Amino acid sequence: MIHNICMVSDFFYPNMGGVESHIFQLSQCLMERGHKVIIVTHCYGNRNGVRYLTNGLKVYYLPIYPFYNQCVLPTVFPTLPLIRFILLREKISIVHGHSSFSTLAHEAMFHARTMGIKAIFTDHSLFGFADGSSIITNKVLKYSLAGTNHVICVSHTSKENTVLRAAINPHKVSVIPNAIDGTIFTPDPSKRHPCRLRVIVMCRLVYRKGADLLAAIIPQICSQHPDVDFIIGGDGPKRIVIEEMRESHSLQDRVKLLGTVPHHQVRDVLVQGDFFLNTSLTEAFCIAIVEAVSCGLQVISTKVGGVPEVLPIDFIQLAPPSSKALVAALNAAIDLRRQEKHVDPLVAHQRVAKLYTWQNVAMRTEKVYNAMAEEPEIELRDRLLRYSQCGPVAGKIFIVIAVINYFFLIIVAYWSPAEHIDIATDFPHKLKSTPQRWTRSAAKRTK
Amino acid sequence: MKNRWRKVLYENHDKPDNYIDETFLDDLKKNLYVRKYDLWTVIRESGVVTQQISCVCIFVLLFIYMKEDKISPQMLVAISLATTFVGYLFFCWLSASELRRSAWADLKSAGAFLTLSFGLSPILMTLTSTISTDTVYAMTVAMLLTNLLFHDYGANAAIVSQSLSLNAAIFSAVCLASRLPTRWHAFATLALALQIFALWPSLRICLKQKHWLNQCLTTLLLTVLSVVGMATISFTGAVLLALLHLFISFGCSTWLIALQPLKNNIHGPWDEAVISN
Repeated sequence: MIHNICMVSDFFYPNMGGVESHIFQLSQCLMERGHKVIIVTHCYGNRNGVRYLTNGLKVYYLPIYPFYNQCVLPTVFPTLPLIRFILLREKISIVHGHSSFSTLAHEAMFHARTMGIKAIFTDHSLFGFADGSSIITNKVLKYSLAGTNHVICVSHTSKENTVLRAAINPHKVSVIPNAIDGTIFTPDPSKRHPCRLRVIVMCRLVYRKGADLLAAIIPQICSQHPDVDFIIGGDGPKRIVIEEMRESHSLQDRVKLLGTVPHHQVRDVLVQGDFFLNTSLTEAFCIAIVEAVSCGLQVISTKVGGVPEVLPIDFIQLAPPSSKALVAALNAAIDLRRQEKHVDPLVAHQRVAKLYTWQNVAMRTEKVYNAMAEEPEIELRDRLLRYSQCGPVAGKIFIVIAVINYFFLIIVAYWSPAEHIDIATDFPHKLKSTPQRWTRSAAKRTK
Repeated sequence: MKNRWRKVLYENHDKPDNYIDETFLDDLKKNLYVRKYDLWTVIRESGVVTQQISCVCIFVLLFIYMKEDKISPQMLVAISLATTFVGYLFFCWLSASELRRSAWADLKSAGAFLTLSFGLSPILMTLTSTISTDTVYAMTVAMLLTNLLFHDYGANAAIVSQSLSLNAAIFSAVCLASRLPTRWHAFATLALALQIFALWPSLRICLKQKHWLNQCLTTLLLTVLSVVGMATISFTGAVLLALLHLFISFGCSTWLIALQPLKNNIHGPWDEAVISN
């Protein structure tokens, strides 16, 4: 079954991160499987309007400006005419929103449901339940997901979290992990230092990524092992903590701070090391450790969130989030390495690169799309009933919002009828000169 | 069984993606860090709120006494200096000596403050005198409420701001000073505000830390003072104030204890980890 899919998120290129690359890679692989995919995001600076990316991936940069943390202001109704126009113009059958932080994704899914188009949501993050901001975000998520047809989570822990936060039926939630591009993240032991061991850290230097833990571990390890160095890629408000530690322990020649590393250079940094250290305090999936193993590194990580689910135990040393436990785990990994008992980089790459491929993610996502396409359309009455179950007070508010949006849709449809909207011509995929990476699959399709 | 489902992402290829295992939500834990409250402790601790409300009442009452000429400003300054001196002796005796500044430093700052505010009192007196009385009273009420809201009751919360609450109180004193006739009045109001809102709370904290009985006695003393003082001005006000004190101490405490069983706090592996050392 071929679908016309619209990916929506506030987070997309030129912004770089886990969600952004997830959307891009998933879209590429879905296009490879013959689907039509477009991406909708807000504008970034003067990047406004329609752009085409690799293989004719069409991106709508909507003229809505971000107001906080790269998200657009939540206004609900005013985005309806524009999003309706795009969905009709591109003959979209499925709207796929990404990230619970993204207001644009929630609004687009809401409008899609109002128009009777199927909506699917992928949750990339974990949330607590105790503080004020999570209580509000969870309420919004509950409302947004009450309307969606299906939810995708990146790990089992993330699924449990989402089911609890949004109070949805767990059968409506699929677990489809993230993936890596195994052709890029390849090991190269020749780049390693011949007589010293290097620990790579690759994360934003913020509290949630455990930068304080990192600052506590480095001096201990450096004093215990005179031949171990650290390379830290990433920047953030906690960089000063690391720099202070480096000054006070005179480790300038052993701790290298690279600042932000562009995504295409991450592999070149990774292959210089023997170990990869992840000190995150919360993590739904953690793509970084998979990339590291794929580059042949031995991974040491805190045991938080979805991290224990990601890698088989012979590739990863897990420790509770304390500097003592992490030092012990890193020591154990260094000992294994000295005794030559560690996993061979090439073996590690071959196993992990096969486990998490974007092709596999696309295939599993396609299954969700197919199942959704066959599901009967939910009637307006049932939809409103679902909203009313969101809470005694909030439920009523949600119903009012949904009904207003429905009337607004009728007005917009009268004002600019669907038959007056031009249908966009699809990108001529068959004529394209296929780059090296896609030839094999293109050949397969023509057979 | 060989193909048992495990909570990992690199196996289970035979199960559908929306499969729910019986171990689903096994890691969910509820109410891990709930504090058990004891009714009498809560009632005793609620004293910090009652005390501050009483202080605000006493401050306003003394202002009214001055305005109605029931007490002369010189008298009030004398009383407040005397009580401050006694309180200072108590404070020295109660607080750990190594944490404290020297008596000479304290004397210097007290002297500097008294001279400055006495010297500036003609200006302070006229500072807000052009503003209408209604506005001044409304501002005073707002500022004293701000003081109550942001006062440091000992909670570790973002809303607590000692400087904001103290400044609000001093501002209300400056507002009120303009409604009184002489510069002595203005000076007395300011000195009183400083004594009640800056010095007295730190002594109260000392007393409370020393022994729990002190806390009860302070609460009782302040409550009785404020209610009796209120009764001399308005009987209805006194009754309402007494009811408010009772409601905060007993009503709210029992309410909090009664609400405790409804607590439903969810914890699990998705929580942001707390660094343990």
